[in-house]
Amino acid sequence: MDTGESVRITLRSIRAHKLRSALTVVGVVIGIASVITFATFGASVEAEIVGDIETSNAGNIYVFGTPSGDDDFDRTLQPVFTEHDIQQLEGIAGVEAVLPRGIVQTQSVRHGNQTLARQQVTATRPASFTPGVLVEGRSFETDEEAVVVNERMAGSFSENLTAGERLTMTMPDGSERNVTVVGVVNGTRGEVPVSEFARQPRVYVPIDPFYESVVESPSAGVRQRAYPQVTLVVDPREIPETQSAIQTYLSGESDARSLSADDTELIARSGNDFVEEISDVIERITRFVTGIAVIALVVGAIGIANVMLVSVTERTREIGIMKAVGARNRDVMQVFLVEAALLGTIGSLLGVPLGLLVGYGATRYAEVTFSLAPLWMALAVGVGVLVGVVAGLYPAWRAARVDPIDALRHE
Amino acid sequence: MTEGEPLIAVQSVRVAVSESANTTVRVDGVSKQYDLGGTVTALDDVSLDLSAGSYTAVMGPSGSGKSTLLNLIGGLDTPSSGQVVVNGQDVSAASEAERADIRGTEVGFVFQTFNLMPRLSAVENVALPLVFDGWDRNRRRERAVSLLSEVGLGDRTDHVPSELSGGQRQRVAIARALSTDPALILADEPTGNVDTDTGAQILDLFDDLHAAGNTFLLVTHERHVAERAERIVHVEDGHIQSIEDVSGGEH
Ligand SMILES: Nc1ncnc2c1ncn2[C@@H]1O[C@H](COP(=O)(O)OP(=O)(O)OP(=O)(O)O)[C@@H](O)[C@H]1O
Ligand SMILES: [Mg+2]
Repeated sequence: MDTGESVRITLRSIRAHKLRSALTVVGVVIGIASVITFATFGASVEAEIVGDIETSNAGNIYVFGTPSGDDDFDRTLQPVFTEHDIQQLEGIAGVEAVLPRGIVQTQSVRHGNQTLARQQVTATRPASFTPGVLVEGRSFETDEEAVVVNERMAGSFSENLTAGERLTMTMPDGSERNVTVVGVVNGTRGEVPVSEFARQPRVYVPIDPFYESVVESPSAGVRQRAYPQVTLVVDPREIPETQSAIQTYLSGESDARSLSADDTELIARSGNDFVEEISDVIERITRFVTGIAVIALVVGAIGIANVMLVSVTERTREIGIMKAVGARNRDVMQVFLVEAALLGTIGSLLGVPLGLLVGYGATRYAEVTFSLAPLWMALAVGVGVLVGVVAGLYPAWRAARVDPIDALRHE
Repeated sequence: MTEGEPLIAVQSVRVAVSESANTTVRVDGVSKQYDLGGTVTALDDVSLDLSAGSYTAVMGPSGSGKSTLLNLIGGLDTPSSGQVVVNGQDVSAASEAERADIRGTEVGFVFQTFNLMPRLSAVENVALPLVFDGWDRNRRRERAVSLLSEVGLGDRTDHVPSELSGGQRQRVAIARALSTDPALILADEPTGNVDTDTGAQILDLFDDLHAAGNTFLLVTHERHVAERAERIVHVEDGHIQSIEDVSGGEH
């Protein structure tokens, strides 16, 4: 029997039961739309975060210490990387820049008559501010009583901070330091890769004269500044080699190794490692949530199966007629499978745009860029059709087995 | 049964007809039992031949096995024992799929309750057997339209059954039965659901189609309907009681 004719018979049957068919389709639409929504949202979040990291940080290697078996970022603040280590790292082939980072404790930051408590102040080198990250002004210089702020920070005051304005930082001992804002940035070279939306307001200061954490360097034998975190900018063509050279130094003769507890691991991690790790986490979450949405799809499938069983019973006489005029069992099966598949297909065709719409709304709400998940969409449509067919199999099989004489006698 | 009509012994008729070369249907020693707790014997060792171009009526009281006989010949059902051959094909030994093909191409059914597909138009109903016979859409439509004009419904092709009168529906069913140009038309009480005038028109149509060379087997319990045929097979309690020849006896 040609498919065109079974589709025609099916469309008539669907049209004869508009409400019933519509409600069945709604079940599938909800299932498909939920899957698409979560998949799209997950893909968008992933693309946003990964995109951020990839564009700016692929060639960065982050160096920090972490207690074994614990990958928690919060526990990486021990200042163990000495100036000696920094010099050694600078000597490794493929390393283009070494950017140590330290935390400067402050009580508050004041601008005019507005005071912000507990602000993150990061000490770093002028090299952290490339022309690419500068929104206005310039980088500070070593020894300068000047700061650079990020855009979040600039926007934290009622009037946006601009280059040339003055800030007052209150130090933990109560003393005050007046500084000039020399630049506004939208990130720094070598920062730990976080997405734009996760970025905190920050004030950056030059290591000299603000950063004071010192330890005695075991190899140099003198007290030196030490940093909890170091970022290395490396030649992007030699990331793996450089990364392993850095790791070898860290695990071997570095001051950081000698200064850290035995169970602390010193880790050199590239931007790509972060990308992979973050993608992995987001993908796992997306898959889990989407998996839950699949339950809705299963419910939709049960709806189709249910309606098809009703349809087979109602159309028993029609089955008898078809058989009396020459329909084989497989022709009858085809008619009902086509109907089930059509319900599934209509459901997924409506569910995909709905899911995309809701997914788009979710990305707008979360302020991430909307990205499509084409694979999931194709999969959802495929699954919709499949759900229809699978749900229709048993009813169609029942229909095919109907005895023509019984069926013709059926009222 | 009217008085004075000659009754011919079943056995002798069977032998006589079976020797004819152009036999369309041969029913040979067919029995049909239904098992519903106890065993119901609907047909018991029935033998009957139909020659090509013949017009036979089956008469008998309710429950005598008339419809059962028709269904066995038409391949809707299989006999418990015995053989049914339609146009050279052994229906009783055929697989389910083969019987479906035989139903579609060798026989055309006309039922008391019309049995049209409710949501298909007249032309689509007539074309339905052609769908299962693998005809393409244009040829199907062409054939169905021409058959509908043949039965006088050329102006009703796109009406669905609920928009047609009982007599019109039965004519659609007749056109459908003719669509694959079958060797045999099986009609089970075709006039049972229409008024006398409409019934007469349907029987006139059968006469025309018979005159055009079609083979008919018609079940009825009305004498005047049966008398349209060339001969009447009287069935009682699953047996053929007698076969009455009414050829030339048109009233
Ligand atoms: N599917 C079935 N299951 C059980 N018994 C059946 C079945 N079909 C027919 N019978 C029985 O077989 C016998 C013959 O039935 P059949 O339908 O052939 O009668 P009929 O001569 O066509 O009667 P009517 O004139 O009322 O249509 C009846 O006793 C009936 O009860
Ligand atoms: Mg009957």
